[in-house]
Amino acid sequence: MPQEGTEIGDCVYCHRFLCGRLRGLKLTAIDYVLLSLYFVFVLGIGWLVKRRVSTSSEFLTSGRSVPVWITSLAFIAANLGAQEVIGMCASGAKYGILTSHFYWIGAIPAMLFVGIFMMPFYYGSKARSVPEYLKLRFDEKTRGLNAIMFAVMTIFSSGISMYALGLMFQLALGWSFTSSVLLSAAIVLVYTLLGGLTSAIYNEVLQFFLIVLGFAPLAFLAAHRAGGWSGIVGHIASNKAHLWSNLGSPAANPMGVEAFSLIVGLGFTLSFGYWCTNFLVVQRAMAANSMSAARRTPLVAAFPKMFMPFVVILPGIAALALANMHLYDLPLKAGGTDVDYNMVLTTLMSKFYPAGMLGVGLTALMASFMSGMAGNISAFNTVWTYDIYQSYIRKGAPDKHYLWMGRAATVVGVGLSILTAYVAAAFNNIMDILQLVFGIVNAPLFATFVLGMFWKRATGNGAFAGLLTGCVSGTLMLGLTVAEGKGGWFANLYEFRSSMAQNFWIAMLAFSSCFLVTIAVSLMSRPKAVSELHNLVYGVTDIPKEESVPWYKRPAPLAVIVAVVVIILNIIFW
Amino acid sequence: MNDLRIPIGLFFAIIGAILIVVSFVAPGPHADLLTSANVNLYSGISMLVFGSVMLWLARRAS
Repeated sequence: MPQEGTEIGDCVYCHRFLCGRLRGLKLTAIDYVLLSLYFVFVLGIGWLVKRRVSTSSEFLTSGRSVPVWITSLAFIAANLGAQEVIGMCASGAKYGILTSHFYWIGAIPAMLFVGIFMMPFYYGSKARSVPEYLKLRFDEKTRGLNAIMFAVMTIFSSGISMYALGLMFQLALGWSFTSSVLLSAAIVLVYTLLGGLTSAIYNEVLQFFLIVLGFAPLAFLAAHRAGGWSGIVGHIASNKAHLWSNLGSPAANPMGVEAFSLIVGLGFTLSFGYWCTNFLVVQRAMAANSMSAARRTPLVAAFPKMFMPFVVILPGIAALALANMHLYDLPLKAGGTDVDYNMVLTTLMSKFYPAGMLGVGLTALMASFMSGMAGNISAFNTVWTYDIYQSYIRKGAPDKHYLWMGRAATVVGVGLSILTAYVAAAFNNIMDILQLVFGIVNAPLFATFVLGMFWKRATGNGAFAGLLTGCVSGTLMLGLTVAEGKGGWFANLYEFRSSMAQNFWIAMLAFSSCFLVTIAVSLMSRPKAVSELHNLVYGVTDIPKEESVPWYKRPAPLAVIVAVVVIILNIIFW
Repeated sequence: MNDLRIPIGLFFAIIGAILIVVSFVAPGPHADLLTSANVNLYSGISMLVFGSVMLWLARRAS
């Protein structure tokens, strides 16, 4: 792994990988012009929204002023980080069309659920963050646990994503790891400092369009060259060309999972745990300018989300077909014979994009990285300022002080992310383990929220005990089982066919243990008075009436359309 | 800033225009590419159209 200061010229990684084919990915002046133009625009947008920011809530929560088309695109863009774009293309080449499960079952159902059923409580409670909702609904300790875990996780993931970006630009373009990391972090820092959450959200919309317009031509050209979908299917293994046909047993498909753990583990626990409770995405909906706009944010977002596989996964599948047709070679890891799937996207770009469009493609990659990082940073500074600093360190200061703290947290957050990127570069194995552990933290959360929102009897003690049990039991299971040589630090009781299967089953265990312990402890402890639960729990909350607005502005009809289209997509690629 | 569509529209209109110019200055075909299509021209036109629609929508709204 690259160390600080290691330059490509040192030829440490200069095996056939770099000295051969990849030298072709050389940028020309025009590509740099396009990249600089992008930098000018993101900084410009930050500068233009700067004068909107004079209070801490304007800086950290956009003062609930953003229209729905903007919040919904930001909702998916904040999740569409560089790791996501590079990773989805990589998985497309590795698992084929099965990768689309991460969208069609692993995101859409949860997005519909959070918009229709959960947003009335998030938005109606007037909480400024997801942890703050937990404080209002349960108690201080549950908020504290969630806020601290979330803050650590956001810094971690923005650092990992920065590391991925630095490594990619080092391998593909020969840029120095340090300069690409510092340059991109500095730009994110400046525009987030200038305009706060509004600036992050506005730029996420620009970044979203750039990602789509920058990668869609690649998907089209690569799929076209491979002979369209039928040509692709003819040149890849049949278990990579179908979504559901080979999910009877883990051995029959490249993901090593079976239908039950895919539907319940990914489609229910992991997906609902992420899309319904992760403040990174929920924050975008909470910034909307009305309850109706907040509820429609994830639903409107679901429309572009369900077609994203055709932009980010299809190039990977087409690359696999092209490789089997001997038109393109899958990139190999330095000095080895293993395929380096993470380099599929950039090598494919070098095969289809001439100077000019190549600059746009790399700018899109940079944009995906920035949208993911700004998403993490803008969620981190809010949770730090409101849920940790204002709650535990300094209560009752004037708002100006919290605005200052929000800005300071932005700087510190970026600094810690850079640090994490270097730690990731130096200690790759530790990061692998942490990534597995953090994967577990999300899984039990949905149990806490669903019980909190729909069961008046759930108590703070119950929620806290459940959340803790969920995380501990998940970590224990990770320590007791093995998959692809990972996990099993305590003992090897069971070996999964793939890390993915292990991940899904751990999520199911973490969710169920959290669910059961929350119920058991709640029944043993004293519930909050119903009068304190107004606008926090189903049954004592006014669900907005939508009869008077046209159908396309109502949540239910939008959700039905999305559901029907997703079902059709699943049938087409069955 | 009142309308995000203005900077987005401007950005893509400029990028599109640059790509169209590049496509005429350095047309190809590029021997080392897997496609014979004029990628810059077609991508440039679609970005220019997208940017213009954004600007038109912003203008109509104001």
